[in-house]
Formats: sequence, structure tokens, C-alpha cells
Amino acid sequence: MESSTIEKLNNADQGDPSSLSRGQRFKKEFKKDIFYLIFAIPALVYVIGLAIVPAITVVYDSFIGRHGFTLANYYALPSYGLYGALINTLLVSVGALLIQLFIALAIAMVLVKPFKGKKAFSTLVIIPLGISTVVSAFVFSIIFQAVGGYANSALVGLGLRPIDWFYTNSSSLGVVMFSDFWKNTPLVALILYGGLSSLPPSLYEAASVDGAGSFNRFVHITLPNIAPIMSIALLVRGVSEFNIFALPLVIIGYHPLILNTLIYENYSSSLTRNISYAAATVLLAIIMLYSIIVVKLGGAKDHVR
Amino acid sequence: MSDEGKGHWSTYIVVLILSIVFIYPLWILIIYVVQPAYLTFDRIYPAQIPLAFTLQNITQSFKEVDLVGPLERSLEVAFLVGGIALGLGIPAGYGLSKLTSGISNKLIVFLFIINMMPGLVIAIPISIYFLHANLDNTVFGVAFAQELVVLPLSVFISLSGFRSLPRDLEYQARVDGASFSSTFSRILLPMMKVPIMVAFLLAWMTSWDEFTYAVIIAPIVPTDSTFPVTLYNYVSRNLPLESATFALVATIPVIILAIILQKYLKGSYLSGGLVG
Repeated sequence: MESSTIEKLNNADQGDPSSLSRGQRFKKEFKKDIFYLIFAIPALVYVIGLAIVPAITVVYDSFIGRHGFTLANYYALPSYGLYGALINTLLVSVGALLIQLFIALAIAMVLVKPFKGKKAFSTLVIIPLGISTVVSAFVFSIIFQAVGGYANSALVGLGLRPIDWFYTNSSSLGVVMFSDFWKNTPLVALILYGGLSSLPPSLYEAASVDGAGSFNRFVHITLPNIAPIMSIALLVRGVSEFNIFALPLVIIGYHPLILNTLIYENYSSSLTRNISYAAATVLLAIIMLYSIIVVKLGGAKDHVR
Repeated sequence: MSDEGKGHWSTYIVVLILSIVFIYPLWILIIYVVQPAYLTFDRIYPAQIPLAFTLQNITQSFKEVDLVGPLERSLEVAFLVGGIALGLGIPAGYGLSKLTSGISNKLIVFLFIINMMPGLVIAIPISIYFLHANLDNTVFGVAFAQELVVLPLSVFISLSGFRSLPRDLEYQARVDGASFSSTFSRILLPMMKVPIMVAFLLAWMTSWDEFTYAVIIAPIVPTDSTFPVTLYNYVSRNLPLESATFALVATIPVIILAIILQKYLKGSYLSGGLVG
């Protein structure tokens, strides 16, 4: 039965369109869509059941108190450190993103040019992709330990004074930012490299003939041409940055808090579970808003090939 | 243009600095593991190069803490996640590649938004469902939850794979009288080898790395969990030498895997389908 349906569908596809009325054609199209939709349904049901429904539960529960509907969980959030966590999350995200973009661009620009040891370098750059987030977090906590840390031993070796990296909030966040840059830059570099290497070499040659220097070529040719890919990569990574959890949890624990560690800290106790739900709803709202902007700006549908 | 040739000196400086930055943490992990503790853990200013060599940290760690159990668990979870990703993702990608673009675009955006949902937010209610379904603290529970992270990506990879196949291929096979299922399994799937492999390995590696769902679904108490959660536990119990050994043992194979995978990694796979 299955194969005969297909036969008909394919015939409809290839058949003389004038022999079918508009309504008939629409009906065939519709039947064909239903058939192919069946292939996608298991995956869709899976994500609806295990992502959409749970997300709705969290939002719903965040408005529930002991006596039914309440906003109390939200009113209580600031006393659990919401504002600080928000600012810290924003700082880490934006900071890590900017460093990532800058270094990834440098890597991609280097990789499109020929040089000795290119293969070795491109392999080396991949390494962080193969190292688990928790492993990199642990290694960076060894490197930046105030006492016995390798960063400080390097500083002392250079005749500088050691630094207590986890003494202030900003330096703690700086360590998280740096670790995150290290772990995720290869990904951004690969994306940008894909964009750069798809530019036709003739573009540069023409500019060279016209006498444009390498800086001018970068500003007037490279940058505008990879700007779309760059902005999409940035926006996609931006969401992941907002979601960082394991890295700050292992490196700095709960001091200072970021949104995810705030949620996790309060989730563990049933007394504050609804507080955790409220914080989770805030995070969800920010991310959904952000991804709607991404989809509107980037137009996901035009870019999937 | 040849791949390797003479480059500008500024290129080499950039390459050198970046190489050091990217290799340094791995280097530190290695010298931390292979040196006796008096040269690393007990020093205020440990040296940047190894001054002695020992395998004692490794043998000791294997005796004192459970390293094999969590790795086995992680392996089981990762293969499950990879398998489910193919089972659900490959057909979904095929269906999407055939659907009218109006419908498939909406579904792609939907999957894209799923990919962006914060893991922790979803993990918490899932853990409660799984508690009722007796899936908490099980390999299956962790795998089912982690699947959410990789499924949209697997669908995108499969979709772009099917879209890159010649259009007439399927039609011609059908004209020659092949049934739908044999066309799919004998003609389409063999041409999808690379996307299938990439989807599986990316899912596998993502699962190996995944922490958020694992720590909520299978926290370390009362039984052991996957490798990242167990490592977090050892780190917070202040066992640096055991943690370092564990980290290194779990990392080396995956780095090799990443290097193998490197030539198949395209930017489009990694940006969640947004970049063409």
C-alpha cells in the first residue's frame, strides 16, 4: 500500500499539470506532504514531549505558590541575587563572545593563506573541541589557582607579581570568560573559515591589481563579505553563552552567581524550588526573545542547505 | 594555490602564539599527571616543564577512585545518544527535504528554537517525569535527555545531506520499479554515509561532553554517573591528582576522534543549520 501511494504521488509530480484541476493538484500536494511529514513526526513528537512540555511546566510552576497563583516567586528573586546574576551572565557572554570572534577571525584568516605547517596548526586548533567542558574547567582552575597555579608561576618566572585570580568578582568572571573563549573559539573559527574559504580568490586578485593594501582588502572586501556569516555565528554562539553552566560551576562555584548557577543552587532544595523555576523562566524568556530576533534577522530558513 | 607554501612572517607569529594558547591547557594537564605531587600539587610555583616522570598518579588513581565505571556509563550513554540521533534524525531529515518548502521551513525554525532552549530549564522538569518513570539515575534516562541537545543538529545534517543528493536519483530508481523501501535503503542511504557518520560522531561527542542534563538526571548520589558529572564530583571533593588522571584518560581518545572528524566538520553543521 505504501509503495502504491508513492507511485501515485510521483506520477502526480511528473504528470501533465494541465490535466489536473487546481483543487486536484492541491490535494495531491497535500497528500504528498502528509506522507513525508510522517518521517519527521517521531523527531518532532520527541522534542515536543521532552522540551516544549517541560518548558511549559516550568513556566506554569513558577507562578504557583502555596495558595495557588502568585507572583511571589518573582518578587523574591532579587533577594536571591537575580540582578547580579543577570549582569554577570551578560558580562561573561558578551566578553567571551567578543574575544572568540576576534581570535576566531584571526585563525580563519591565517588558515585561508598558504604557509608551512598549516596542517599541523589546523589540527592543533581543533584540540579544544575534543576536550570536555568539565575537563577544561578543571584544568583552568589548576592554571589559575592563587597558590600553586601555573599562571602565577609563569608571572613570577617573568619577574611579575602573582595575582589572586579569584579574589574579585571581575577577575573570577575573567577566568570563566577566558576558559570559555578557549573551549569555543575553534567552533567559531570553523564557521568563519567556511565563510572565508567560500569567497572567490578572484575577489582579492582584482583588489590587488587595483593596488589595495592588505588592510584595505580586509576592511573593504573580506569584512563585508563574511559579515552575514559572522553575525549569524555570533548570534548562535550568543545563546550558548547565556547557557553556560558547567564551566562557571566548576571554576567559580556560586561566587559570583550567574543565571544558571542561581537556578541550580535553588533547585536542589524543595523550599526554594519555585524560586529556581522563576529564575529559569527569566532565562527562558531572555533566550526565547533572543532566538526570535536571531530567526528574524538571520532568516534560518534561507540558510539551511 | 598550494596548501603549504611560504607565508608572511606575521602569519607565523600569529600561528605560534595561538598554537601555544591552544596547546597549553592540555600540556598542563599532561605534566600534572605524569609528575610526582611534590613537583605539582605541593609547589607554590610549579614548573612549566616536567622535571620528573612517574606513572604513580595513574596507578594510584585507578586503585583509589572509580574511574572505569563512569567511563563505561558515559560510553553506553554516548552510543545510545548517537543511535537514537540516527534513528530519529535521518528519517526526519529525509522527510523535511521532501516537504513543500513552506512547511519544512517552519519545522526547521521550530527545531532551531528547540536547540536554543536552556538545558537546565528543561532538565529540571524532565528529571521529575523520569523519577516517576523509574528512568532517573539510569543510562537510558540520561541518554533520552541528552538526545534533546543533539537531535536538531542531527536533523539538520541529515537534511543537508539529502538535499545535496541528485534530484532524479530517487525518481529514476522508482521508474526502474524499485519499491520505496528498497530505494531508500539500497540507493539513498549508501550515498548518505558521510552525513550519517558525522551526525553520529557529533552526537557521540556531544554526549561525552554533556554535563547539564547528566547532573540533573543522574547526580552522583546514590550511584555513580557519567564521566563529566563524576569528574565534577572528584574536583569538588578536592582530589586534584585523581581528577587530573581521570580527565586525561577520558580526554585522549576523544581528541583523536576530534582530529579524525576534523575534515568532515563544516561550519554549517556546527552553527545549528543557520549558516549555509
